[in-house]
Amino acid sequence: MQAAEQVLLRTKGLTRRFGGLVAVSDLDLEIRPREILGLIGPNGAGKSTTFNLISGFYKPSAGTLFVFGENCTGKSPLAISRMGLVRTFQHGSLMSSMSVRDNILLGTIHGVSGAARRRERTEETAAMLGLTPHLDNMAGTLPHGLQRLVSIGIAFAARPRLLCLDEPLTGLNQTEVADTLTVLERIRDEFACSILLVEHNMKAVMKVCDRIVVLHHGQHLASGTPAEIRNDRKVVEAYLGHRHDS
Amino acid sequence: MDNLRLPYWALCTALALAVTFVVRDPYLASIVNLISIAALVAVSLRFVMLIGELNFATAAFMGLGAYAAGAATTILHWPFALALVFGGVVAAAISIVFGYITLRTRGPYFLLIGFAFTEAVRILYSKSMALGGTSGMVGIFPPVGFDAWMPSLIMAVAAVLIFALYVLERSDFGKILTAIRDNENVARTVGLNILLCKVACFAIASFAAGIAGGLHAFANNVISPGDFSFLVAAFALAYVKVGGEDNIVGPLVGTILLVTLGSFALGLGGQEHIFYGAAIILAVLLLPDGITGLARRGYQRLAARKGH
Repeated sequence: MQAAEQVLLRTKGLTRRFGGLVAVSDLDLEIRPREILGLIGPNGAGKSTTFNLISGFYKPSAGTLFVFGENCTGKSPLAISRMGLVRTFQHGSLMSSMSVRDNILLGTIHGVSGAARRRERTEETAAMLGLTPHLDNMAGTLPHGLQRLVSIGIAFAARPRLLCLDEPLTGLNQTEVADTLTVLERIRDEFACSILLVEHNMKAVMKVCDRIVVLHHGQHLASGTPAEIRNDRKVVEAYLGHRHDS
Repeated sequence: MDNLRLPYWALCTALALAVTFVVRDPYLASIVNLISIAALVAVSLRFVMLIGELNFATAAFMGLGAYAAGAATTILHWPFALALVFGGVVAAAISIVFGYITLRTRGPYFLLIGFAFTEAVRILYSKSMALGGTSGMVGIFPPVGFDAWMPSLIMAVAAVLIFALYVLERSDFGKILTAIRDNENVARTVGLNILLCKVACFAIASFAAGIAGGLHAFANNVISPGDFSFLVAAFALAYVKVGGEDNIVGPLVGTILLVTLGSFALGLGGQEHIFYGAAIILAVLLLPDGITGLARRGYQRLAARKGH
């Protein structure tokens, strides 16, 4: 299929119910090559559920999920991660009792054979994230900002085709946010890897994303470029509550 | 693969073997055997602790190894080495099936399943007439002429297996195991098959426990169901906790100390179990990282003072 090759991830009518609650309803989502797609929405909008659905941690109640053109509906997290879709977790996405080196190394084990090549990939990844001086520190002892980078490092060390980050900027200061955004852009530009970004930091999302999808009450509310989203009345009403006139 | 500290291993193994050559008193030799076998069991228990699980089925797999080696020797008349390896293989094979089913559970559930399995298997031996029932299996002898060398042989086999488990722990496979303990989901999201790695860890540890059981059978020539109750795993846990679980040296130190103390208590006509109980309580209260943890902290403090 021609279309399938051009789209990394496509969901059709993706739905997930928890008892009577519909967390995600009839969601159509598309992630294209070399793009950073922001997934935003107020608390309870269904962002995390969507994340868990596309990474296989939840099975959809209805709808289909295509990853890299292959029907992955109902596939396990392991199967999906092995196809090249790697995700992080909102809370504690690293091994705190292991060194930063071993943390990042873990990401290379499945995809890279040979100790020397794994070490090389580990060091290359650490260098890109600015973690080289911390390689031999225990991950759990690092400051919060660096721990967030280690989480990205583990995932990126697997060299995914699609990297899904769950609120990677939470709790970072401005410099750290700026540095992380630069890293995300480099991952997109130098490694042709697309990124799905779930994030509450609006300024950062507007700055770094190529496209944004807005969820509200589990449903697709709007999608478009940051500029389009910023000026979308539905979004402004639902998400921000009131219009800012400057 | 990290630094394997080969010189230390060579030195310690040589020292341990030297002890087995020097000791000629049969009672002391039996204590040395006890230490070698218990150390192997403790290291096997700790190997599964790498994935964060407390494996009380260790005792069952030690027993399966002992009975398999015993049956191979007394019923099938297989040669010594083959019977010993057979014990390890039987334990590993059964552990793969057992682990594949039970390693989906965690924490207290896994511990309880292991505990129940150990007791069930023990009762199975005592009901089986072919295996000697409650009175056990007799006549499990090593080849004629081996008797004098048994302590050295047992020590050597235990040392090789302990070193092998150490090498695995330091390899990338070992890092996956620690990652499973720390954060299983992260390991899963980078394409690692968690259940497979857990089962592999469990089977490797059970192979070591099975060999330990075979060594026990050949060292004592007699085995009975009571040798393989959950207490074996409880003692092994005491060795690991008292010695310290951070490092493979911990269970070795714990075993040497507690087995020696326990044997001394037996000589006094006391119950060695009291020593184990007291040692666990003291270790948990006073030495959260065990004796090796205390030694490391002391060394660090010394090094810091020198630095000034």
